[in-house]
Amino acid sequence: MEMLLMGACLSVFGLAVACLAFGAAARGADETVSAAPALPNEAVMAAASPSRFFVGQPALPAAARNRVPIEALLLQLESHVRLEQAAAQSFLESPNSSLLHSRTISPLVN
Amino acid sequence: MVNADLLKGVEPSAAEQVLALGKRMLLTAGAQLFHLGDEAESIYLVTRGRLRLTLPMQVCDREEDVLVEEACCGQAVGWSALIPPHRFTLTAAAPLETELIALPREALNRHFAEHPETGQRVAWNLSAIIGERLQLFQAMWLREIQRMVELRCA
Repeated sequence: MEMLLMGACLSVFGLAVACLAFGAAARGADETVSAAPALPNEAVMAAASPSRFFVGQPALPAAARNRVPIEALLLQLESHVRLEQAAAQSFLESPNSSLLHSRTISPLVN
Repeated sequence: MVNADLLKGVEPSAAEQVLALGKRMLLTAGAQLFHLGDEAESIYLVTRGRLRLTLPMQVCDREEDVLVEEACCGQAVGWSALIPPHRFTLTAAAPLETELIALPREALNRHFAEHPETGQRVAWNLSAIIGERLQLFQAMWLREIQRMVELRCA
């Protein structure tokens, strides 16, 4: 009976130590992220992201992740120019401030 | 073509005389008519198809021709031919098979000297075309400036 109680106490103590250690580790990671706002996006993400067994998350360069294909960008530019010309044309047909500054749906600026 | 924007208000017979000074041209899809900085010898009237007028822009470290405006049937392109310093300020290319009439500056000048009434009407039309483009781009430019101001104030 005494052995059983001692085993239970040790188990509870071990669990408490594990919880404290986990809490400290999690808080440390949060503080690292908030204390370094000037780090580039990919560095913050890499630090915050949990690593898998033996292998960390693959670190893609930011340029590669944010890159819009050049053809898509050119199409967006073309669409933007057409929309802006249409907006300017409607302003010229009826010149007033609200038409001059009407909102655009162009994805280039939204 | 007597209804082209450059010949608006010109008597049909006089317009025919002007058009007779020109030379018909056929551009295949993708062909370039003139390039930014080229010497401008002729003004062009689009009779079929379309022309893309572009300016070079650095896009992702690459120079790309970005659309500035398009000209379709009845519109005049390349008025730099009539305005000093006679250099094209845009690049023009045909996105599809396009027909044009090229009107050489020298021939036009001679004709207008002999027919001042036609010359005056064409000059009015030309100034209307240029004025409209100026107002259009002024409005577009102001819209861009407005967006910059909004970004600054955000």
